Amino acid sequence: MIHEQVKGKPVTPATAALILLVAAGAIAVAYRYAMGLGAVTNLSDQYPWGLWVAVDVFSGVALAAGSFTVAGLVYVFGGERYHVFVRPAVLTGLLGYLFVAVGLAVDLGQPLHIWHPIIMWPEHSAMFEVAWCVMLYLSVLALEFVPAVLERLGWSGLQELWKKLTPLVSAALLALFVGVMSLSWTWAIGTLVFFTVLAGMLSRFVPARPGVPALLIIAGVIFSTMHQSSLGSVFLLMPDKLDPLWWTPSLPINFFLSAVAVGFAIVIFEATLSAKAFKRPLEKEALAGMGRFLAYALWIYLAFRLGDMAVRGHLAGLFGGGKAPLFLLEIILGVLVPAAMLTSARVLGSTAGLFLAATLVVLGVVFNRINAVWLAMTMPGEGAYVPSALEVLVTASLIAAMVYLFALAVKLLPVFPRSEGEGPQPSPAAATASSRTHTIASR
Amino acid sequence: MGRACLVDTTICTGCRACQVACKAWNDLPAEKTKFRSKGDGYENPPALSGRSYTRITFHEILDDGGNLDRSVFVKRQCMHCEEPACVSACPVAALQKVKGESGSAGAVVYDVEKCLGCRYCMLACPFNVPTFEWDKTVPKIQKCTFCADRLEAAEPANPQVNDQPLAGESLERFEDTQRMPACAKACPTGAIEFGEREDLIAEARRRIEEKKKQRGSWQYVDHIYGEKEVGGTSWLYLANVPFDKLGFRMDLGERPYPEYTKLALDAVPPAVIGLGAALGAIHWISNRRAAAEEADGPETPTGREGEQAEAASEPEKPTSGEGQRAV
Repeated sequence: MIHEQVKGKPVTPATAALILLVAAGAIAVAYRYAMGLGAVTNLSDQYPWGLWVAVDVFSGVALAAGSFTVAGLVYVFGGERYHVFVRPAVLTGLLGYLFVAVGLAVDLGQPLHIWHPIIMWPEHSAMFEVAWCVMLYLSVLALEFVPAVLERLGWSGLQELWKKLTPLVSAALLALFVGVMSLSWTWAIGTLVFFTVLAGMLSRFVPARPGVPALLIIAGVIFSTMHQSSLGSVFLLMPDKLDPLWWTPSLPINFFLSAVAVGFAIVIFEATLSAKAFKRPLEKEALAGMGRFLAYALWIYLAFRLGDMAVRGHLAGLFGGGKAPLFLLEIILGVLVPAAMLTSARVLGSTAGLFLAATLVVLGVVFNRINAVWLAMTMPGEGAYVPSALEVLVTASLIAAMVYLFALAVKLLPVFPRSEGEGPQPSPAAATASSRTHTIASR
Repeated sequence: MGRACLVDTTICTGCRACQVACKAWNDLPAEKTKFRSKGDGYENPPALSGRSYTRITFHEILDDGGNLDRSVFVKRQCMHCEEPACVSACPVAALQKVKGESGSAGAVVYDVEKCLGCRYCMLACPFNVPTFEWDKTVPKIQKCTFCADRLEAAEPANPQVNDQPLAGESLERFEDTQRMPACAKACPTGAIEFGEREDLIAEARRRIEEKKKQRGSWQYVDHIYGEKEVGGTSWLYLANVPFDKLGFRMDLGERPYPEYTKLALDAVPPAVIGLGAALGAIHWISNRRAAAEEADGPETPTGREGEQAEAASEPEKPTSGEGQRAV
């Protein structure tokens, strides 16, 4: 697939507004480093985690899930028709993880020690697994995005080297991860051997796909799966605080399943907005396909979550309990309604319908993470946590920074598939849109 | 097994000498507090904090007629769990349970040089003990240290009496009186007893049984709080009113907290291999099928109606120009 850059100026009125917001946020962050967390946030010993952990970190990771669901769908499951979404999704994932890393650095009390998980290996800590998943998946995402950069620079020699090396690098990263999580040489070496053999077999027996080292994609899917689920594992230690409507030994699976769903949703969300913002054609057929996958993912998530609650005997909690309204809001608006919408062919065929459903899913998953981090937690003592204005500003400016970087990246790098001169267009509507792009671009 | 403290709340008079001794030994600044007449009575500070590792909670127990029956004072601080949730939570091993023959065996200690400041320990702790220096630019996690530094070495290091260094038996006796947490050392009533955990459990049981023989007297609740809670703690409590009336959670269970995450984390290495095998197999099958389709052309007859329809609705599906494709 040939990709192209979006034509346009690097700074427009819209991006100028984003930059302004980012600058305001940067001042707030500077103030936070100078004065401490207590001066800027409403966090306390009662509520040690708040908006930044819930949105910047936990939701940020979930919303970066698009890169692994799409890369997995296209390269592992052979969903070639969804290829158009790969690069934008990988870019979104990369920026999403950057957002998480920056958000984390702002939230940590000892940010200079952020690298300590590299040398301290407490394999019994879910947060340790989270930290390693962030590092390793960020490496994989960067590796996945390298071709776009090399293509832009025209360094074909490095592109060849990248193709040769990435399978081995992927195997090594997986072995490193298993090694630190098991603290066992046997596991580490076994993993290295297993994935090196797998890489060899795939390259020998599976017809070569130019430019796609299968093992890199597989490593990305594995790290993502582990990361999304480990964020759920973090809450396993809070059975005494997290409401039983959320707390379950299956939390890692709940987090993974909801991440898969939101991965599809964020692709629809991002593609629809990009098409509008960059005046590009919308891949309607493929988007409807993503909508269908999203519906499956939502039904599976809903069935698993409710089934798990039924097995543990917590379904009755739906109708009593102080946290039940939060749960019902999260499940009905964030899962049930979009799942029902996307099961209808009429919605799948409508851009607005798809976008609305995807937006509900995105908001629903963010709400789920916010619930887990603070709203569904019962903390000792009186008082509640409401984020401060500066906390909101920092989070808003981080989101603005990501949007701006995305808009900048698609102008500097070939991210979107070429929309003209590439054979017939999928539909007349898209063709018109394409020619419109052409006129605007040539203007 | 490790050191422990037994707090007998029936002995405590609520004098708070332990709070003062704790501040003095650990060099903790004072806290500005205000009179709290509601609810928890006269207790101060209102909660554990980055400046207070321990505090006495006040509990007014009413009789059936609604009159004050008795006042009970409970010393709260880190429970120093046998299998601590905070230690299992910490991603950088900044929190550790001291084990083995060390003088401070049993203490859960914290190393700021490793700490990230992620505050996961605060949320993981079933007793809500760890606190944070919210007002500092580079804050530490703060909590009771079990005076691990005192347990490691008696202070002063070379004690003298009448300019003569202490030696032999007198030195040992002196050290035994010093090698205990500052609070236990300061307690004027003997409500805080320091010793080996198993000895203290035996002592607690003895007190409960002893009381049972005194007919007509008040009785201990037949429970040692901390013996089994969350897998056992190094601070143990006796009381003569139900523990839940003294602010102790009775619903924490006996399961050690680290076990809650153990299953999920133990599953990681096999899951990585399993996922790798599954994804490799899926990739293999789907790509061979795709390659076969491409080789046969999209008009392959039998058995592929579904895919054929898909292919038809997807003119973008590349049959030529394959070589140019990149990620």
